[in-house]
Amino acid sequence: MKRVALLGVLGLVIVSAQTPDLATLEQTAQKRNAEWESIAKDLSERMARILPCDPRYAAGITEVSRASEARLAALADYLKAASAQAFAETATAKILLDTEERRAVEVTMERADTGQEQTAVDTQSDALAQSVKQRSSLEDPRKVLEQIAAMVRQRAAASEQQVGATDTAVRLLRDLIAKFDARDAALRDESVAFEAERTRWNGYYAARLARAQTECAITQIGVQAAPARSKGKQ
Amino acid sequence: MSRYSHLGLSGMLICCAAGLIAQTGREAYRQAYDVWRQAHGDLERDAGTGGPAQVAQADRAAAAAASFEAARIAHLKSSAEEAAQRRQLVFQNSPTRPSADVAPEATAGVVASGLQTVTRAIARFAGDKDRGIQQLRQSLERERVALVALSDSIQANQKSVAATSAAAAALDEASAKTKEAFGDQAAQLSQSVTQLEKESAAWADYYQQLARAIQVANAPPPPVNVISAAPRNDALPRVPLPRFVGAWTYPMSNGIFHGAQPEFVDLVVHEQNGHADGTLYGRFKPPPGSAIDPVVRFDFQGDFSGTAMQKFTLVTTDGAQGTLELIPGPAFNLLEVNFQTEPKVNKIRAANFILVKK
Repeated sequence: MKRVALLGVLGLVIVSAQTPDLATLEQTAQKRNAEWESIAKDLSERMARILPCDPRYAAGITEVSRASEARLAALADYLKAASAQAFAETATAKILLDTEERRAVEVTMERADTGQEQTAVDTQSDALAQSVKQRSSLEDPRKVLEQIAAMVRQRAAASEQQVGATDTAVRLLRDLIAKFDARDAALRDESVAFEAERTRWNGYYAARLARAQTECAITQIGVQAAPARSKGKQ
Repeated sequence: MSRYSHLGLSGMLICCAAGLIAQTGREAYRQAYDVWRQAHGDLERDAGTGGPAQVAQADRAAAAAASFEAARIAHLKSSAEEAAQRRQLVFQNSPTRPSADVAPEATAGVVASGLQTVTRAIARFAGDKDRGIQQLRQSLERERVALVALSDSIQANQKSVAATSAAAAALDEASAKTKEAFGDQAAQLSQSVTQLEKESAAWADYYQQLARAIQVANAPPPPVNVISAAPRNDALPRVPLPRFVGAWTYPMSNGIFHGAQPEFVDLVVHEQNGHADGTLYGRFKPPPGSAIDPVVRFDFQGDFSGTAMQKFTLVTTDGAQGTLELIPGPAFNLLEVNFQTEPKVNKIRAANFILVKK
């Protein structure tokens, strides 16, 4: 039992040793997002004031694209660490369920033990009541034994409640494990959705850069054609 | 036959039981229970007509009952501690949920704005036959397709983030409920321990009274050289001073303790005119990685009372004040010690263990 708990702790320790602090990763992700947002918001306006073949035009788009990649990489790191931590929690909870289920069986056996003790003390009480008739000095211990019998009965009742409370706790723990699994499944879906979005962002910036190159190219057609026409006029 | 002549036999029984107590599993207390029931036999039935043999049997049964109760209490306490540690791993912190702040909704705005610009440009160039403009329009179309796909992805991602948040919220709620249920269960277990401790004391009292009742009928006068810890006119049960006074030590193996584990303990208790004083010196196993001072040394004093449990005030060598409780063990050569001191940095402030008379 102790070994299983130790493994759980070890699991958490390994996870926490492997993944950087979540708070730090969250801060980094927020910082990268702010950096990207500040230059991505007015990209169209800024580009409108620069000629398509001006090196600053393509450089501006590349800068936003890189900031986007940095933002998405930071977000991926954060999500990965959060998922690893979450999955470790689920594993620990499952280990707990395993031990609590075994403990529930033991509590049931302990209830049976208490029942056996109750039967024994009741038998003793009956026997001593008979002996008191032969020896009156046994009256005082008989009273004490009655008190003990009452205490054992009380403990037997408590033992019954303990079984009920343990069953309830184990049932709730099973539900909790289901919730842990649901949270983990949602996290996996979120990671998939995030990766899809990440790919789309890269696709968008590639398309935006391609448009910039087209804009420049069609401008160049005009520039290359102009000298030929003037030569013809001469 | 005097009750004291059976101490050797009771001692053997206790030694056997002590091995069982050192274990804390259910099997250990079940074995102790069987030993007890065997020692007890038909004591109540025989008490009506019995004599010294039944007095001796009561002594043995008392020792076996104490061993059983101690094993059972140790098992319950150990179970409770292990359970608390296991549960702490799960319930100490709230379950992880990714922060929504890392995926702000502003991204959707950036995309929507870009999509609007591109769509407008495409519309503007819709009827233009110029080859260059047509190339630009195609390029804008590709960008628009990329933006639409991106917008869809963002929406899908936002939905998945919302689903994770909902799942995490449901998990939080279930976690709080489960934690509460385990808290209730732990409280009930703690009550069971308290109840067992009361029963244990009651059993000791019962066997003492039973033996006395049989003795009264057979040889009423108690030994005259027994010194009482209580005033003669005290109605409370009198406990012989030798149960407390003398030199005591922690056994080298199979020691019984709760909380800090002793490596060694020496206790000396003196008595003069009903007043007690003495010294305790011990060393305890510190928790791994702890900077706690393992050595405890204190003097204590106070008046003996008529109760089974004696309580004295203590002062440690570091000046910390506290209380010391001495409780007669299940046999004459055993003494339960329970001390607590005011908190001091890196000092052991409480321990509970059973000593053997030197």
